[in-house]
Amino acid sequence: MKKEILARLVVLVLVSGMGLSALVFRIGDNSGIVEVHAAMPEKGGWLTDSIEAQVGEPLVLSLVSDDVVHSFALGQSDFEPVDVLPGVPTEITLTFDEPGPYTFYCTRWCGADHWRMRGTITVTGDEPFSKDLPDPPLYLQLGIDIDDPHENHDLVLDEQPSALRGSVLGLTTPSEFLTQAYYRSHSPHQVWDELRKVPSTSELSESQIWDVVAWVWAQNTNSTKLAEGEALYQRDCAACHGVDGDGEGIFGAEEISGDGTPHEAGFDGHTIEAPTSFQDAGQMLTASPALLQGKIIRGGMGTGMPSWGLIYTEEQTWNLVDYLWTFQFQKSQE
Amino acid sequence: MPSRSLYFRDLRILAAGAQSVSGILLAALVMAFAPFPEPFVEPTERTIGVMASSFEFSPAEISVNPGDLVTIELTSADVVHGLYIDGYDMQISADPGQTQTLTFTADKSGTFRLRCSVTCGDLHPFMIGKLHVGSNTLLWRGFGLATLSVFTLLVWMPATFRKRNQDTPDVEI
Repeated sequence: MKKEILARLVVLVLVSGMGLSALVFRIGDNSGIVEVHAAMPEKGGWLTDSIEAQVGEPLVLSLVSDDVVHSFALGQSDFEPVDVLPGVPTEITLTFDEPGPYTFYCTRWCGADHWRMRGTITVTGDEPFSKDLPDPPLYLQLGIDIDDPHENHDLVLDEQPSALRGSVLGLTTPSEFLTQAYYRSHSPHQVWDELRKVPSTSELSESQIWDVVAWVWAQNTNSTKLAEGEALYQRDCAACHGVDGDGEGIFGAEEISGDGTPHEAGFDGHTIEAPTSFQDAGQMLTASPALLQGKIIRGGMGTGMPSWGLIYTEEQTWNLVDYLWTFQFQKSQE
Repeated sequence: MPSRSLYFRDLRILAAGAQSVSGILLAALVMAFAPFPEPFVEPTERTIGVMASSFEFSPAEISVNPGDLVTIELTSADVVHGLYIDGYDMQISADPGQTQTLTFTADKSGTFRLRCSVTCGDLHPFMIGKLHVGSNTLLWRGFGLATLSVFTLLVWMPATFRKRNQDTPDVEI
C-alpha cells in the first residue's frame, strides 16, 4: 500500500514538473525581448507595427520574416538597416535619447506594396514630446501647391543642357543666381527666363542659356551629395520610376499587379498612376527643387507614390532632389 | 594426372578473362575521362538578362559555349530573388529596380542547375533553371557507363561464365 502511494507521488511530481519547468524556462528566456514578425504587406506587414519604449532604456527586438527577405530600418537616423530573413531571428538593440514617435520601415522590395510596410516606435520619457514643431518644409514656406499641374509640353530641348559647356562660356553670372535659396525656390525654366533678361546674356543662343542653367544647378551640389542621392534613388525609387528615370520601372503601372491587368485599386481602394518620367523636360524643367522636395516628403496622395517625410532626413531629401536633375542635365566630367 | 591439366586450363581461361575484363575497364575509363568530342567554338563574351519573378526565371535555360565570358544580369520583378549556379558555386541576389550582374568564365562544361538562393515564398524550392555549357557531357558519359554496365552484366558475364563452365568438366575430387 505504501509503495502504491509512493508510485502515485512520483507520477504526480513528474507530470506537474513538466508543466512547471516549461513555464519557468519560458519566463526566464523572454525577458524584455520584443518579437517582431515581418510579412508581405498584403499578409499583414509588421506584426506588431506599434512598439513602445522608454528613453535611455535599451529596446531589444528579435526580428524574423514569415515569408521573403525584408529589412528593418529606422527613419531619419544613422541606424544601418539589417536584413530580416525567413526563419533566422535577428536580434537588434536600440536605445533612444529623445522621446517621440520613430518610424521603422522595410528597405528590401517585398512586393508591389512594399513601401506600405512601416511601423512606429513610441518612445516615452520623463519629459513630454517637444511641443515646438520643426520649421515647415520649403514648399510650404513658399506656398507652392504641389498638386498644381506645372507641365509645359512645348518645352522640348534639342540636346541636354551641359554644365560643362555652361562653365566655359565665361559668363559672369550675377551672384543672386548662385545662392542656395534662389536655386531651391526656382524651376530651371524660371531661371532661364530671368537669365534671358540679364544684359550679359544677350549674345547667347537659347541652348547656351540652358547650359548656363545647368551650370547654376551644378554649383548647388557636389559628387558626395549626388552619390547619396543616387544610392537612395536606386534603393527606393528605381523599382517604379526606372533605373534610368524613364518612369518605366519594373513596378510600372502595367506590371504592378503581376497578372497583366493594370492595378486599378490597391487594397485600400485607391488607383495607381504611371510613375513620372524624370527624362521628360516639360515636367522637370518647370519644377523647382522645393516642389520636388514637397512631392517626396508628402507623397502622391492616391497615385501610388509613397510619402518619405518620416523616412528621410532633410539632407537626404535634398540630395535625392539633386540627383533627379542628372536625368535632365548632362553629368559634368569631374 | 587430371589435376595438373585442369590447372593449366584454368590459367588459360583466367588469362582470357583478364584480357576482356581489362578491355571493359579501359572502355569505362575512356567513357568517364576522355576529352569529349565536341566542335570547337571560338569563345565570346555574352550578356544574358534573366528576369526573376515568383517562382520562375525567364529564360529558365541558358546555353553558352565552353570558355565564354558570361555576364548574367539578374532583374527581379516582385520580391528579392537570388541566382545560384550549381557546380560553379556562385550567387547573386537582386531587389526589384536594382539589377545585379554576375560575370564568370564558363570553364566547366556540362549542364548545371540554377536555383533561387533567397527564400522568396511558398514555392521557392521549385524556382529553378538550367545552365548548359557546351553539350551535357555528364549526361552522355553517364549514359555510356550505364550502357557498358548493362552490357557487362547481361551479355559479357553470362557468355564468359558459360564458356568457362563448358570448358571445365565436372571433376570428382
